[in-house]
Amino acid sequence: MNLEFNEEQIDALREFMNVSIGAATASLASLLDAFGTMHIPKIEICNSSELSNKIESTVDLNSMYYVTKQLFTGKFGGECIFLVSEASATNLGRHLYAIQTPSCDEVNDAVIELTNILTSTIVSRLTQELGIQVQFFVPYLHFTDAHSIVDDGDISKYSKIIIISTILDFQDQQIKGNIYILTKDEAIESLRALIDEKLEEIYG
Amino acid sequence: MIEIKYPDVLLDSLENGHMIVDDAFNVSYWNRWLSINTQIPKEEIIGKSLEKFFPQINYKVLYRKIKTALTIGTPTFYDVNSAKKFVPIERNKVTTSSLRLMQQQVTISPYIACENKVMISIYDISELFEAKLLIKKEAQKVQTLNEKLEADKEVIDKNIMVMKTSTNGIIRDVSSFFCDFFEVTKRELLGKNISMFKLSDTSDVIYRDLWETIRSKIPWSGELQYKTSKGQKKWFLARVVPILNELREIVEFSAVFHDITNEKLLAELYITDPLTKLYNRAHFDETINFIAKNQRKSDVDFILAIVDIDYFKRINDTYGHQVGDDALVCVAKNIKKSLRENDLVARWGGEEFVIMLKNVTLDEAQKIMEKVRSNIEKNIVCHDIKVTASFGLTKYRENEEPKETFKRVDDALYEAKDGGRNRIVVK
Repeated sequence: MNLEFNEEQIDALREFMNVSIGAATASLASLLDAFGTMHIPKIEICNSSELSNKIESTVDLNSMYYVTKQLFTGKFGGECIFLVSEASATNLGRHLYAIQTPSCDEVNDAVIELTNILTSTIVSRLTQELGIQVQFFVPYLHFTDAHSIVDDGDISKYSKIIIISTILDFQDQQIKGNIYILTKDEAIESLRALIDEKLEEIYG
Repeated sequence: MIEIKYPDVLLDSLENGHMIVDDAFNVSYWNRWLSINTQIPKEEIIGKSLEKFFPQINYKVLYRKIKTALTIGTPTFYDVNSAKKFVPIERNKVTTSSLRLMQQQVTISPYIACENKVMISIYDISELFEAKLLIKKEAQKVQTLNEKLEADKEVIDKNIMVMKTSTNGIIRDVSSFFCDFFEVTKRELLGKNISMFKLSDTSDVIYRDLWETIRSKIPWSGELQYKTSKGQKKWFLARVVPILNELREIVEFSAVFHDITNEKLLAELYITDPLTKLYNRAHFDETINFIAKNQRKSDVDFILAIVDIDYFKRINDTYGHQVGDDALVCVAKNIKKSLRENDLVARWGGEEFVIMLKNVTLDEAQKIMEKVRSNIEKNIVCHDIKVTASFGLTKYRENEEPKETFKRVDDALYEAKDGGRNRIVVK
């Protein structure tokens, strides 16, 4: 199984992601009435055993996190993880429910809603660019410390994973989150083939 | 592709709730599942706003979710773990249940975007949720047990001497208390053989018994003598348990030790003659009475001997008690070294010694005693007096009272004395 991406494929993927993230930012602005920015996505292919460390290196190890995981399936399938710190999640709950002290249920639902919009828009747009359809599953949320975001046992069966990550930042509302799109062996190969098809279609 | 002629029938046949609403929450479809579970017939709700029937729903949030689904063209979801129910539906479960209301997964999917209509689907995930709660509860129990186990483990580690070895005696683990007691570090012990604690002058009989018992997959309990890293002899009450796998094969041995050195020393003091270090009369009496009472075949076959130092009073009177004591010690050592490990010798009183020679005939016993007599005569000299001793011997008869045996052996000794001393008489 060839899981390596050449320069051209990486460039194309980065471009598709830029478009997707742009669409997500626009959706967020119109649906949540909040203007946020999203960083240029980082694309990495690594061994599954490295995932935990890579995520830990991007978060504040002293904070508690709301972690939402949502699966998507189709010709290109994988898992989206959205991380938001306890403080950011509370600010999100305040903003979406327009109350000073949102309840636990309200914070949870606000995080689920933001994840939903982000993952749906980013992945839908990416797959739209690639000319395929995907199905989303119910997102699951848990609240945990920074060291337990990814349980190493959860990913032991994957040998290679691709991590597409970006940071969402609503400065006015003081909400910041990290988004990871993870996909494994066969899906990486499938993504590579889809990118090749798209490049062929564009450049002939 | 086939055209579905009766979508109502299709949606009614599903085991989930499905409704179609617009962004003003007006209901335009209400399936059979919802009619049954909410007790609101479709005729009553269709064409009306959801708000009238379910005022507890947060319509601001619902509106936003409807907009999201319509805008991004994919389903949006409510938090499945939420305590707030989208549509409260009583559960009729009669048997134990932690949920009074149905736990729901609510999905809002775009239906007819141009009419701002979405389909709200409600899935009953109560059983799944209950299973999750049960797992959480059980996991908490396991955690509590683990914490207790860890605490108990620490108590054991700090207060009990425990050792685990491989089947060939290689030390795999020891408790901290064991290390402290033997004044060694765990690191120094792991990988070493248990035989490092064995005393070279200790009988192999006990170790052989231990080994044969545990190899037969039976726990062994008994007393063991070991030496510490500084060479101190210590007594332990030990229990060694073979650990078996599911195929009943021994995988390792686990041993628990209890230091009984002090008790052992006290017990020894109680049964030992302080001058000669032989057993005292009380211990010999106890042993012979036990044998006579129990009449075990392996015990009753013995020869009783009494040894009396000749003219002992003369030694005492001439050279004093210190020299007399020296003579007693020398005779005691001489007797002891001539006997086997399982023979019993005690100081009977004054200048008399009593011996129990096990599993020998009278002839054999006489030969052994002759060797002792000869050794005393040849080797023990107190100043210018040659020390000699007289011997009486008799065989114990089954079911006999010990006093009868003693009567015979005393008679034999009397005859030996009467016959000129420094001799053996057998009765």
